[in-house]
Amino acid sequence: MSTLNIGGSQLDASWFLLLGAVLFTIGAAGVLVRKNPLVILICIELMLNAVNLTLITFARQLQNLEGQLFALMAMTVAAAEAVVGLAILVDIFHTRDVEDVDDLSELKG
Amino acid sequence: MTIAIFFIAAAVAILGAFGVVSFREPIRCVLSLVVVMLSLSVLFLLLSAQFVFVVQIIVYAGAVMVLFLFVIALLGPAREAARGRLRFQSWLSALFMLVLLVLMWTMLQGIQYRQPDQTDMSVFGTVQSIAVGLFTTYLYPFELTSILLLTAAIGAIYLSRRQIDDR
Repeated sequence: MSTLNIGGSQLDASWFLLLGAVLFTIGAAGVLVRKNPLVILICIELMLNAVNLTLITFARQLQNLEGQLFALMAMTVAAAEAVVGLAILVDIFHTRDVEDVDDLSELKG
Repeated sequence: MTIAIFFIAAAVAILGAFGVVSFREPIRCVLSLVVVMLSLSVLFLLLSAQFVFVVQIIVYAGAVMVLFLFVIALLGPAREAARGRLRFQSWLSALFMLVLLVLMWTMLQGIQYRQPDQTDMSVFGTVQSIAVGLFTTYLYPFELTSILLLTAAIGAIYLSRRQIDDR
């Protein structure tokens, strides 16, 4: 296993990676369980944040900045996704009487 | 000291994540996500990613979450109904969560790190080093993300303008 020397203390990189995995799993479970489309978007943001943590941990472990650059681009993509997703949601909520995602199943085959 | 900071931030992040999933009101979900993002930014600082730490607080916990709060305020306090059309949904998702976690944990066990690059750690993650990477090697992806942002802005304007015209 790999240890990171942070401020004189020895932290294991796999702790950060495990935390990222746990947060990603909680976010995925939220996407599966929740029915409010807004909360589903929030859970997707949580998953993206967990992935960012993993990227930055690997950047620190390999002492390579590419992970941090990729995390910045992931943040940009997440912001764009939030903007378009929220615009679509506002449009849906204003034009139709929708309570949760179960009411949006017309495209189902 | 550093280990204590890590465990406190990790515990707060996991508690906030459970709050995101379990709160009924969307506004509490958003505030829990802000808590998660702030504790993750502390972890970014531990991993010597200073610039990403600042961007996480300003852009993510600031701008994106305020956008979510605006939309919630616009749509009104819609409480989520507890009913579900899919039976055993929570049990199935708990099973999925367990399987996914075990899968990722076993992948983490077998991970093989290569030798770290011998980077100068005194400037690692500063604005200067990030900018040098962003404007030289990764200039092309950087410009592509700017086009993506422009597309998203135009799409959001289009979607919300049609809404106003309908009234």
